[in-house]
Amino acid sequence: MKPYRMHLMVCAGTACVSNKSYKIKKVLEEEIKKQGLEDEVAVVTTGCNGFCAQGPLMVVQPDGVFYQLLKEEDIPHLVEEHFLKGRPVKEKMYVPPEEKMPIPTMDNIDFFKYQRLIALRNRGLIDPEKIDEYIARDGYNALVKALTEMSPDDIIREVKTSGLRGRGGAGFPTGLKWELTRASENGEVEKYIVCNADEGDPGAFMDRSIIESDPHSVLEGMAIGARAIGATKGFIYIRHEYPLALERLNKAIKQACEYGLLGENILDTGFNFDVDVHRGAGAFVCGEETALLAALEGRFGEPRPRPPYPVEKGLWGKPTNINNVETWANVPIIISRGSKWFSEIGTETSKGTKVFSLVGKINNTGLVEVPMGITMRDIVYKIGGGIPDGKEFKAVQTGGPSGGCIPKALLDLPVDYESLTDAGSMMGSGGMVVMDEETCMVDVARYFLTFTQDESCGKCTPCREGTKRMLEILTKITQGEGTEEDLQLLEELANEVKKSALCGLGKTAPNPVLTTLRYFRDEYETHIREKKCPAHVCRKLNVYTIDPEICVTKGHGCGVCMRECPEGAIAGEKNKPHRIEQDKCIKCGVCYEVCRFKAIYIQ
Amino acid sequence: MTKLKIEDLAKIQEKTKRLTNLRDGAGRVKITVHMGTCGIAAGARNIMSSLLSEMEKHNISDVIVTTSGCAGLCSREPMATVEIVGESPVKYVDLTEAKIVEIFNKHVLGGEVVTDYALAVGSERTH
Amino acid sequence: MVKAILDKQSIEVEEGTTILEAATERGITIPTLCYHPLLEPYSACRICMVEVEERGKKDLRTACNTAITEGMVIETSSENAIRARRMNLELLMAQAPGAEVLKEMAFEMGITKSRFPVTDETEKCILCGLCVRVCEDVVGAHAISFVNRGADRCVSTPYGESSEFCISCGACAYFCPTGSISLEELTGAKIVHTELPLGPSTAVRVPFMQSIPNVPFIDAEACINFKTDGCKLCEKVCEPQAINHEMKDEFIEVDIGTAIIATGYELLDVSDMQNYGYGRFDNVLSALEFEHLCNAGGPTGGKILLKNGESPQSLAIIHCVGSRDKNYKRYCSRICCMYAMKFAHLVKEKTDADVFEFYIDIRSFGKGYEEFYNRMLEERVNFIRGKAAEVSNAAMVPEEEGKLVVRCEDTLAGFIRRIPVDMVILCPAVVPREDVSEVGKLFGVTLSEDGFLKELHPKLAPLSTSSDGIFLAGTCQSPKDIPDTVAQGAGAAGAVLSLGDAVYLEPINSVIDEEKCVGCRICIGVCAYDAIFFDDEKKVSKIEETLCKGCGACVAACPSGASTQNGFTDAQLLAEVEGALI
Repeated sequence: MKPYRMHLMVCAGTACVSNKSYKIKKVLEEEIKKQGLEDEVAVVTTGCNGFCAQGPLMVVQPDGVFYQLLKEEDIPHLVEEHFLKGRPVKEKMYVPPEEKMPIPTMDNIDFFKYQRLIALRNRGLIDPEKIDEYIARDGYNALVKALTEMSPDDIIREVKTSGLRGRGGAGFPTGLKWELTRASENGEVEKYIVCNADEGDPGAFMDRSIIESDPHSVLEGMAIGARAIGATKGFIYIRHEYPLALERLNKAIKQACEYGLLGENILDTGFNFDVDVHRGAGAFVCGEETALLAALEGRFGEPRPRPPYPVEKGLWGKPTNINNVETWANVPIIISRGSKWFSEIGTETSKGTKVFSLVGKINNTGLVEVPMGITMRDIVYKIGGGIPDGKEFKAVQTGGPSGGCIPKALLDLPVDYESLTDAGSMMGSGGMVVMDEETCMVDVARYFLTFTQDESCGKCTPCREGTKRMLEILTKITQGEGTEEDLQLLEELANEVKKSALCGLGKTAPNPVLTTLRYFRDEYETHIREKKCPAHVCRKLNVYTIDPEICVTKGHGCGVCMRECPEGAIAGEKNKPHRIEQDKCIKCGVCYEVCRFKAIYIQ
Repeated sequence: MTKLKIEDLAKIQEKTKRLTNLRDGAGRVKITVHMGTCGIAAGARNIMSSLLSEMEKHNISDVIVTTSGCAGLCSREPMATVEIVGESPVKYVDLTEAKIVEIFNKHVLGGEVVTDYALAVGSERTH
Repeated sequence: MVKAILDKQSIEVEEGTTILEAATERGITIPTLCYHPLLEPYSACRICMVEVEERGKKDLRTACNTAITEGMVIETSSENAIRARRMNLELLMAQAPGAEVLKEMAFEMGITKSRFPVTDETEKCILCGLCVRVCEDVVGAHAISFVNRGADRCVSTPYGESSEFCISCGACAYFCPTGSISLEELTGAKIVHTELPLGPSTAVRVPFMQSIPNVPFIDAEACINFKTDGCKLCEKVCEPQAINHEMKDEFIEVDIGTAIIATGYELLDVSDMQNYGYGRFDNVLSALEFEHLCNAGGPTGGKILLKNGESPQSLAIIHCVGSRDKNYKRYCSRICCMYAMKFAHLVKEKTDADVFEFYIDIRSFGKGYEEFYNRMLEERVNFIRGKAAEVSNAAMVPEEEGKLVVRCEDTLAGFIRRIPVDMVILCPAVVPREDVSEVGKLFGVTLSEDGFLKELHPKLAPLSTSSDGIFLAGTCQSPKDIPDTVAQGAGAAGAVLSLGDAVYLEPINSVIDEEKCVGCRICIGVCAYDAIFFDDEKKVSKIEETLCKGCGACVAACPSGASTQNGFTDAQLLAEVEGALI
């Protein structure tokens, strides 16, 4: 091995790749060669670092210096200044919003400082396409321990006492699930392990990140699980829209097989375990476990009623244990470091950490892993850096289209399974969308319903018809045609759909509606009674008006709005106040955007 | 690639440990070779190469080598600072390739400060 | 056994019993839509919601597929359950307002209308999946399935095209609770003219409405059970358990004394008559096909319709297709003129169409026949004397566009005519059955020149044949209509009955001397009447007296002189010669 003194960890998660991080790597290698440093400085591509809004990014080790928003033009200067001369380049460092001083090292940046990486323990530190690097960081040690020092019952006990709960959304105790699968027709039939990598929530990319950065953690977890329940075959169902993750996963499986860490007689212990990868075909509903199993079997991807649960009758009628990617990624470290260590992190009922994708109206957008029990406030303000442009926080939506909104009043809510459910939302797979005063909560509900309505499989009446009708009513309301009866019907419909739908998709689809009604009912009422949208998002309800004073004194009747108006709805002369004719106005908002003098306002 | 046995896993781990230590920024020793323009002009790059070759010879995995800009004392370049965890940093000046190899073996591996080549024992730590 | 509480009553049921099953047994009604006792529960309609308390937690569950567990407390009509049911019904009513069953259910629940807007007033499909589940799981044809996701979900064949896997069993239509499925739509067949029987044929069917016995049979070629060992849905629904798939054809040997051959006729296959376009053009039918079309048990329920489903405005009936024709059959088929007029009469009765009859002569010879002809004239049926030469679809003038044009020489008027019509009916020649000569051979009956079975004497013995005790009845002997057939049949029956217990044999027949016969079987080969058979035990040939016609062929052929003819033995012949010469 070459004695490199410096490793440049270039992020190659999907986001940074699409921002040309591979090109950056190429330029880096060229420049390093130019400067004669190719034996001293190594360029390593890693998986996602999490701070996605600031990509392309790179961490210089061993210094721990964090560079972000890199462009190809920056590289020559960077190589010469920092890597050759040892002077880190301040201009490419991260500057927290509202501040002037850059923070050079990753560990000092708030976004990273408050995170606790367990599932993402290897992020940014290894090249996911080199199995040796995974092994170097304790990789596959847990599997060795599980195969040589523990019995299957020991493994199950360990996972149970750790308190690990399913990270896919439902939060079912993982150890218990394993125990039930193991107990089903013990020793008499073939059993299966499945990894649910269908991650369908819009905006969620936790699982993608894990697979792109550290695919072996999932494979090792699955192997340990297989040992525990007595399975020899595993399936990974990965959604079609993750080509890079699929590529890395396939490479990882190939390398693991070559090393004999997957396949027959693993590590000479007589344990067999084999993994197949199955690609999804664009259906959110196939993230539901029974629909996923149907798709694996080649049938129409629609859920079936439970019981019987997959632990009794799953894939091809055999006992099957399905867990989410993040759950699997947690397993190796629980076995290595012990359940006691794991159970000391988190709260009484929710142990360990959770990966969240923090997006929306927030300064630091990206992927964060935090201990359970951290408050929402800490996530939004400490890690997220607060709301940009000095706007007011309004709500944070958790759990994607199955979840609900947490309002300002509940900002100090500890983030764990029970608290979120009690507040009407749910942990879900970890999506967190932050909203500010310029978000319309009715529109948010409508947005999520559009998604669930489109993704409904259509089997059961309440989901197929109910989501369609809820969407109809919400659309009406956002267009100013809602009535009081509509609101009543909406609430009634939401409650009934929640109770009578067949599967999780239908049962949770009304959540965005119900939580926004619970905490933001006044917004609905404003839409209906006053036909106004307080956040000015529902365009049809906006009434654009020109302030005559400002128009004349500041703008001198410049006429720009009149020229830009596509409907010719503005009339006026130079130096005279302009007027908008409301019956011609189609509420496109162009005049509002082009007026430099802010003479146009929304009533 | 042949199928691994349990012992093989440990071997790979050993081999790549140098890598992991480096990335974790965890090392017993940190050596900074000053590479300001003055340093480079005085031959700091050769110092660096010699140091790295020596390290490879001894198969060292817990030493971090890094660069920095000009330390300020341009007339005494090439310079290097050796920081051992738990001890005060030592600045070495007027270096040659032979000297840095000696410093590496005596101070970094042996634990003994080579006072002849040292400028000062400082207090500003970076490690 | 499992104990639970159902609507405040303690019950004990077998493990695995569903709430719906337990409720139905006890006379508690829970409404359902997508449930059927013969199929696995699907729980898609969510109408059968009931409130269940299990392990301290209250929940709404579907009754059709939830198994009762120990200590479960079930309320089938709790407020929560009813509310859920009503909402789901309202949703369904808005989705499929055309479904009667929903309206009935709504009435029972006290719902007058749905609060949701309706897009398609005519939609009937409630997406219960019964049709799909039958086709997939029971019949095993896999011809239809659900396609599209969410609100676009519907039932269809792959790509909406005609399915080659559909066996037209009609199970889907039978199970559909709303009448949303019809066989027509699925197989793409509206009306099929060119096959007998018309329309898609199903595996279990009554051959036709007037068949005797009027019961269904199982067509082993089409029945799924004979192909896959599956289905047997018919057995499940047959209450008197009258179905047995194991039945086999039985071959029965009966000893008979006499026989009446009444094997009937066929119509000449006119597909090779290129000029009439049968088989090429839609709406050119042969007489029997039109007969089936008019029949109330036919594919259109008796309505006279073109292949595209419309009513014809004009029809042509062409007589003597293949009859009185030196290229086909020289004889007159006797029945066509009358049934052609009957067709014309039916058309006039059922539609307003114009009818044109193209004839050579009108043969209305029977009782009431001439009167019927006159009536047709009064009904303004156009009779054109002149055999139609050609039916074509090549229009020469605008009026002929889209029509079939019949070209003929109107011999009475004296010029060639082109008459555009919507439908053409051909009256093909009556011919004997294809296997008539085999049948004849079996009984020792030959064929006459026209191909029909030969009677003993055309005028004096039209019922008998040269084999005593074998009689003919009906059209196997010659074309004839119903009165004549009935008469001939009665006659044949009478002849048989008057036979007594003996038949008369020809005096001049052959006999084989067992002692002399060497068993070479040459005689069996030369006998034109199949009257000689080989006795395997005695290893000699034997003559069947009733079949032997006394032709003498075996006598001449027999190398050992074992076969002799009564009245023509060598000794007798020599004696005759002697007597003549001396």
